[in-house]
Amino acid sequence: MSALFAFGGGTATDAREIRRTILLMLGGLAVAAYILAPFCWLLLTSFMHERDALTVPPQWIPKNPTFSNYMTFIDPAGTRAIVGSRAAEQTFPGMLNSFIAATGTAALNLLLGTMAGYALARFRFRGRGGLLGLYLGSRVLPGIALIVPLYLTIKNFGLLDHLSALIVTYVSFTLPFTIWLLKNYFQTIPRSLEEAAFMDGCSWLQMMWRVLLPAAFPGLVAAGMFAFMTAWSDYLFAVILTSTTAAKTLPVVVAGFATDVTTERTLMATSGVLAIVPPLVLAFLFQRLIVQGLTSGAVKD
Amino acid sequence: MTSSTKAQSAIKAGFSPKASGIGYDRPLFAGLLNAPALIAIFLLAGYPILNSAWISLHRYNLKRPQRFDFIGLENYASILESSEFWSSLWITVKFTLLVVTVVTLLGVAIALLLNQRFPGRSALRTLILLPWAIPPVVNGLMWQWIYDSKIGALNGLLVSLGVISEYRGWLSEPTSALLALAFADVWNVLPLAVILLLAALQKIPGELYEAARMDGAGGFQSFWFITFPWLAQTLLVVLILQTLSAIRAFDVIYVLTAGGPGTSTTTLTWKTYLTTFENLDFGLGNAYAYVVSLITLGFALVYFRVLYRRGDFET
Repeated sequence: MSALFAFGGGTATDAREIRRTILLMLGGLAVAAYILAPFCWLLLTSFMHERDALTVPPQWIPKNPTFSNYMTFIDPAGTRAIVGSRAAEQTFPGMLNSFIAATGTAALNLLLGTMAGYALARFRFRGRGGLLGLYLGSRVLPGIALIVPLYLTIKNFGLLDHLSALIVTYVSFTLPFTIWLLKNYFQTIPRSLEEAAFMDGCSWLQMMWRVLLPAAFPGLVAAGMFAFMTAWSDYLFAVILTSTTAAKTLPVVVAGFATDVTTERTLMATSGVLAIVPPLVLAFLFQRLIVQGLTSGAVKD
Repeated sequence: MTSSTKAQSAIKAGFSPKASGIGYDRPLFAGLLNAPALIAIFLLAGYPILNSAWISLHRYNLKRPQRFDFIGLENYASILESSEFWSSLWITVKFTLLVVTVVTLLGVAIALLLNQRFPGRSALRTLILLPWAIPPVVNGLMWQWIYDSKIGALNGLLVSLGVISEYRGWLSEPTSALLALAFADVWNVLPLAVILLLAALQKIPGELYEAARMDGAGGFQSFWFITFPWLAQTLLVVLILQTLSAIRAFDVIYVLTAGGPGTSTTTLTWKTYLTTFENLDFGLGNAYAYVVSLITLGFALVYFRVLYRRGDFET
């Protein structure tokens, strides 16, 4: 354990250093196993035949691996799709809807969050502290408390089962965090950078576009990813506000699968994997920027 | 004095110099920039917040939708009198304490590990994000199979390791169901804690450790006197976020236990859901939601007070 606390140093002997590295790697392996094991179980199940997925004791590695589960989703009208084919048909439209909703949420978040965050970071005005409190305070109520009035509001606008309603809803829930994060990030960027741009004759928009936003890139990526993840993961609002493939998102489709006892387990696993892949790719792609963005945006000196 | 330094000193004084082209005290522009965010939040958070408060003061059940009688605080009174409320409050407390404690301890341990230099570290830093990318619904689904009483991986693993002799229904006993639910949630929310803590660790200047070692401080001492104080503020942020998210946990309960067996995993949030969408009692359901909100608000205020007192939270 003490290896965790200590920093490597020149005074330590080589043998100690090697022992330390081995200990750290063992710790790393334990963490990797903890993170990977549940996911691998899901992943491996998605490559199994239904019969193999039901054995006792469980097959850890599929004995007869198959792509047929994935084929069911690619071609729902195909031969194997008797069970759960309706949900299978909804998976790709659901994925597309999820992607549009999540991307739209992230984009709108960055636009509105940049504007508000910049104002809070740079301007002094009456009610500045109050405004920030208001933003953060709007997140105190749990979603479940808002769902009924929200449903009625969106119904009044005639936007039930529309992706735009989902996007606006997610934006209103993710925006406070985005604003807070971007405000903090902008505050770490020296004003002299802006001043120099203005000296060179940039307008405010040009300054933002050419100087401030590029400098704040990690913060923007982190904020955008958080908004994307929230929108992609949400189930509660999506299930209440959408009803058809016109706007149903992937978690709703997957939950429909999960609560239907007749669905094959391997198909469920496959839909789960499909629901994970897009955000996973983004998270891995932007890992460095996310940590960097949070370092300056969410963690203060 | 050059115009640039003039501008800078003017800005320091809170002036809006023409030369810089921007007024740091232009409230109109600031208001304009905030307007879209304010409108979005008011329409889709502010208005529903007020509306649900109003509904919570009424007798309003969708089974009899024509009745909408103002009854003041009667819904709240009946909540406080019901034993169901106190039992679900107790379950919420247990669940939240469990999740927050485990996430914080594991989060600190993993963040400390990831802050050390060893082969495979950068791969692990990326890997740790995996659970974050998993929607709670899928997470619930995944753990449902792991915990399965007939063919689950947990049973298979523990039996083959000889820890238990026969398969058990992890989700069908009250105590193990709550534990199982908590651990499924921990796995899902851990990455956020780890990356926040790791980000904070990376800000600690290495010279501090150098100096500590010069002074003869051991590993534990430098953790306690350097790492911990630098981590304290982020730890508080992690505690806030995790407490709020544990109290609000919904999707994972929906898929994994549906509040059962019996009411052993019926947290306040799940109780709110049942009251609102199973019993269709919108009046009482919204009152429940407000009780949950008051509890979260209480937590948030306590945390913010601590942050303010430490002088770490500035607007």
